[in-house]
Amino acid sequence: MSDSHVTDRLEVVAHTRNLAIVREFLHSAIKRSRLPQRDVNKVVLAVDEAVANTIQHGYEGRTDGTVVVLIDADDQRFTVRIRDNGVSYDSAKGSEAKANIDMQAHITAGSKRGLGLFIMRKVMDEVRYTSREGDMNELTLVKVIVSGQ
Amino acid sequence: MREFEINLEELSPDVTVVHVAGWLDAHTFEYMEQAINNLFDEGKVRIAVNLADVEYVSSSGAGVFIGTLSESHERGGDIVLMNPTEPVQEVFDMLGLSQVFKFAASPKEAMKLLAKK
Repeated sequence: MSDSHVTDRLEVVAHTRNLAIVREFLHSAIKRSRLPQRDVNKVVLAVDEAVANTIQHGYEGRTDGTVVVLIDADDQRFTVRIRDNGVSYDSAKGSEAKANIDMQAHITAGSKRGLGLFIMRKVMDEVRYTSREGDMNELTLVKVIVSGQ
Repeated sequence: MREFEINLEELSPDVTVVHVAGWLDAHTFEYMEQAINNLFDEGKVRIAVNLADVEYVSSSGAGVFIGTLSESHERGGDIVLMNPTEPVQEVFDMLGLSQVFKFAASPKEAMKLLAKK
């Protein structure tokens, strides 16, 4: 294990008021990692989008559940796992169709759907979802660390 | 750090500035949405949103502007964004909002962009 190995864990009640706590936790873990400065806001944003999706869609507004955020970072990869026990909600779904976004169409329709997913796919190198029905859902977000740029 | 704050300023009888501060995320976006919809209800449809003190925006926050721009046009108005901070601009660029919205650097410029044609 290298010196730059960072692991951390946060568990919060599934309420959007806790998104600020998740972002603060991310910033703190990132500071201890090798993630370059140019990627900090991107990773925090992607995780915020993922946790917000889990709270709003996975728990469908229920606030009796929790969301667990796990960090595992080394020299090569900054990995975040988001676990919940809500309804299976595949945030990674439709990833290919969301490679680009037609913002004019969104504006015309007044539609905000799919923007969080688009951001996750855009800024992270891997977005994977696994679900064990009735047990645990896990969304994995990976940012590859490219140093020396 | 301020979590979220909205203040309204009437630049002219026709133009309102919405000063926003703090985080515009999935927790706070509804306050912003409500503020704009209240202005619409009052017939105030020419709106400048001052983002100079917004430290963070997520897709929920950006979604407020996406959701209200068309309605402002339908009501004969417009929405102009002012002074986004760097992280906010980064998200707007990512979502392609920078090509769709008009941006102003000052109230004077916002007034000009929002002038009745």
